[in-house]
Amino acid sequence: MSEQKYADDVLGSSFKKIELMLQADYGISKHSIGSLLLQGDDEIISLVKLKDPENFSKIMEAVNFAKSSYNDPLSYIIAIQNQGKANYIIERAMEYGPSKGISYREKISKVMIDPLTGIPIMLLVLYYGIYKFVGDFGAGVLVNFIENGIFIKYINPLVIKIFIKIIPWEVLRSLFTGEYGIITLGVRYAVALIFPIVTTFFIAFAVIEDSGYLPRLALLIDRLFKKIGLSGRAVIPMVLGLGCDTMATMVTRTLPTKRERLIATILLALAVPCSAQLGVILSLLEGNPKGLWVWVGVITLVFVFVGFVSSKILPGEGPSFYMEVPPLRLPKLSNVFLKTWTRVKWYFIEILPVFILVSVFIWIGQLTGIFNFLTMLLTYPIRWIGLPDKTAVAFLFGFFRRDYGAGGLYDIKKAGLFTGNQLVVACITLTLFLPCVAQFLMNIKERGWRAAVGISVFVLFFSFSVGYLVNLAFNTFGINL
Amino acid sequence: MNILEKLINILKPDKACSSCPQAKFGACQKLAASLEGIKKIAVVGSPNVGKSMTFNCLTGAYANVSNYPGTTVEVFRGKTILNGEEFEIIDTPGMYSLMPISEEERVARNILLNEKPIIVLHVVDAKNLERMLPFTLQLIEAGLPVILVLNIMDEAERLGIKINIEAMQHELKVPVVATVSARGEGIDILKGKMEEYVRTKICG
Amino acid sequence: MKLNERAEEILETLWVNNEKSPGEWMDLGLAKDNPEIDELLKLGYIKLINNRLSLSDKGMIEGRKIIRRHRLAERLFTDVLDIKEKLVHPVSCQFEHLLQEGIEDDICVLLGHPKTCPHGKSIPPGECCRKSQKDIKKIISVLSEMDVNQKGKVAYIYTKDNPTLQKVMAMGVLPGMAINLVQKYPSYVFQVGQSQFAVDKEIASVIYVRITK
Repeated sequence: MSEQKYADDVLGSSFKKIELMLQADYGISKHSIGSLLLQGDDEIISLVKLKDPENFSKIMEAVNFAKSSYNDPLSYIIAIQNQGKANYIIERAMEYGPSKGISYREKISKVMIDPLTGIPIMLLVLYYGIYKFVGDFGAGVLVNFIENGIFIKYINPLVIKIFIKIIPWEVLRSLFTGEYGIITLGVRYAVALIFPIVTTFFIAFAVIEDSGYLPRLALLIDRLFKKIGLSGRAVIPMVLGLGCDTMATMVTRTLPTKRERLIATILLALAVPCSAQLGVILSLLEGNPKGLWVWVGVITLVFVFVGFVSSKILPGEGPSFYMEVPPLRLPKLSNVFLKTWTRVKWYFIEILPVFILVSVFIWIGQLTGIFNFLTMLLTYPIRWIGLPDKTAVAFLFGFFRRDYGAGGLYDIKKAGLFTGNQLVVACITLTLFLPCVAQFLMNIKERGWRAAVGISVFVLFFSFSVGYLVNLAFNTFGINL
Repeated sequence: MNILEKLINILKPDKACSSCPQAKFGACQKLAASLEGIKKIAVVGSPNVGKSMTFNCLTGAYANVSNYPGTTVEVFRGKTILNGEEFEIIDTPGMYSLMPISEEERVARNILLNEKPIIVLHVVDAKNLERMLPFTLQLIEAGLPVILVLNIMDEAERLGIKINIEAMQHELKVPVVATVSARGEGIDILKGKMEEYVRTKICG
Repeated sequence: MKLNERAEEILETLWVNNEKSPGEWMDLGLAKDNPEIDELLKLGYIKLINNRLSLSDKGMIEGRKIIRRHRLAERLFTDVLDIKEKLVHPVSCQFEHLLQEGIEDDICVLLGHPKTCPHGKSIPPGECCRKSQKDIKKIISVLSEMDVNQKGKVAYIYTKDNPTLQKVMAMGVLPGMAINLVQKYPSYVFQVGQSQFAVDKEIASVIYVRITK
């Protein structure tokens, strides 16, 4: 008698024994429940313990006996048997004819995943997709058009006129149309600054996503990401983080281990600027290419350094990488627009209340003097990193939303209050600075109170330290940007 | 336990009906189903097989196309009409087998276990049938009411793969339909099979 | 002429003893009146002096072959078929006698010319092993050591780590599937059926492939 046969008999008889002992209704067949028990499915084991308590220990005895009869895990054995059945059907119902040669899609795919050609392609995709399209077109052309062409020219004067008529009280009116008013600041930022940037980013992301490029990016970058405790899979939340860190933090739940999720959350909170912020920073550093490179360099360095250190400190096993690489597809325009639309909608539902709330808070803060007090408090670390006092306001905004803060810098730069060095230091510090309120809430939701608060404290301390060091380096080496 | 729940329990086929004649079985189930509210149809399958596209074709509503995790962990639900009756269609997160290794797969399995779908549409990539058929077999083995949907048929044909639908149905003993959901091809046939399935299941 | 099982086992015992302590003669003991002893003596496989046994040169060669078959069988049962450890030895004892000469070389090729049995004892190399050292191309290779564009069929998945096994199975990679390596660096990209997957080195090192091209 062959031993394989003997082995099959153990499995077969174990199935029968277990099926007989299962009494409750599980919604699926007893054979399937038996199969899941034999494969060691914890969830099903506790379900059976709950539903069939009297037979439970006997059932587990049968399961363990079956397990002990094999060298390999039963899930492997059962999968092989199941595949055998599938192959039997395939042989009867499927034929392979000649295929029509290697398609051009296959060739493009090979070029994309070969590091020699793939890395330049990756840089091109990031340059044109993010820098050119989001930075130049979205944050430059569109923002300029909507803000200067529409808001400042038509909407703001109109709104101010209307409110002067309907609200006679200066104090209440400033809630809507003051320097930080709901409409003049909140709605203007949301519509004129954030909307075009976020929309262009989500269009770019949807095109990249639908084309099937992301898994190819993931496999190119896996080895690098392993160094910072992540796998190539994490490239998806990271690139998405360039759009919206809050959404990206939510997506980290698709990473397989707790450790990876935590590292990704830290990096998103600290060193991945979201599109709103990115757009404003790109336009801030416009005409200062050296400053832009310093900013890119420092942020990248921080990203790698913090990732590397946390992968060394945090307990747990290193990540493993496996991912399907789907065929390349030409993105369908209708899908790209629908996706962009759902995401922009999600984004606005998420942020518009925050924007309005911020205006209200600032209004209350100004009325009560708390705002001035906090600004004053913030001027100390601000001076410490060599920035003008007025920047403190932008940083205070940054507590609510990072792009709000960046937007504040934008206004200061327009007023000509920054030197080149100060601008770069401010951009770096604010990029690393605390995540926005929405992201903080998402951190609590996904990682829990302790981790969320811990991350925020760390980020606060770390961002100013980096700002200080960069400023120190500029002064020590006499660099003027 | 309220009276309605008791009534449903009595009427449930695996309890009271297991002893009654075959003819009454359907009637019992129909009554039980109508008491339990809207009947559900689950769409299952691994990522990148056009599951959401098929779902969109059947409901006409929008759902994200690829397995973009942030959105598919939140399960999509839509409505469709079969035989003049309204059904809820659930687009489940991608799953490879009944044995979950990710959070998404766990969600998908819980839908199958707890929501008692009246039809389970298993959408597969026709060109990868060899790898995906084992899961179909698992679903059938689980006693779920499976219809196998061979999607992306156009790509399979381009690769020279020929699938004999009749033979598949004969071997699996469940309905099999070929579709190209990206272009809406074969969806009418799928709907026809679903209607037929619902008819025989409830009234037969 | 072909020796019977009992006779083969006597040669095997003597050979193993000689492997352990070379040159030592074994006590005849209980085997005294065995007809196989007479037969082996007659055929010149063994030498008998003062109730103590030793292998002749001819017996050495034959014993080596039997041991080779036994240990290869053990490898086969453990690595390829799935047989519980405690059963491996007794099954292999039966199996070794069933193997025709020459078939063990095929098994050896199939297994990639293993050096030791599952218990760690060395497997005496055969003609095929000597040839294979010149001809580097292996018949069974782990995916991570295959050449780009090499094709084959999945032979088995070997790992002690259950989560890794689950991941491999989730990709639908199982014995018998056609597989081909598309790229090795920076990640391993392979095609199974009509799908491509990217994996890291850890996962690529548990998939064993029987090379066909």
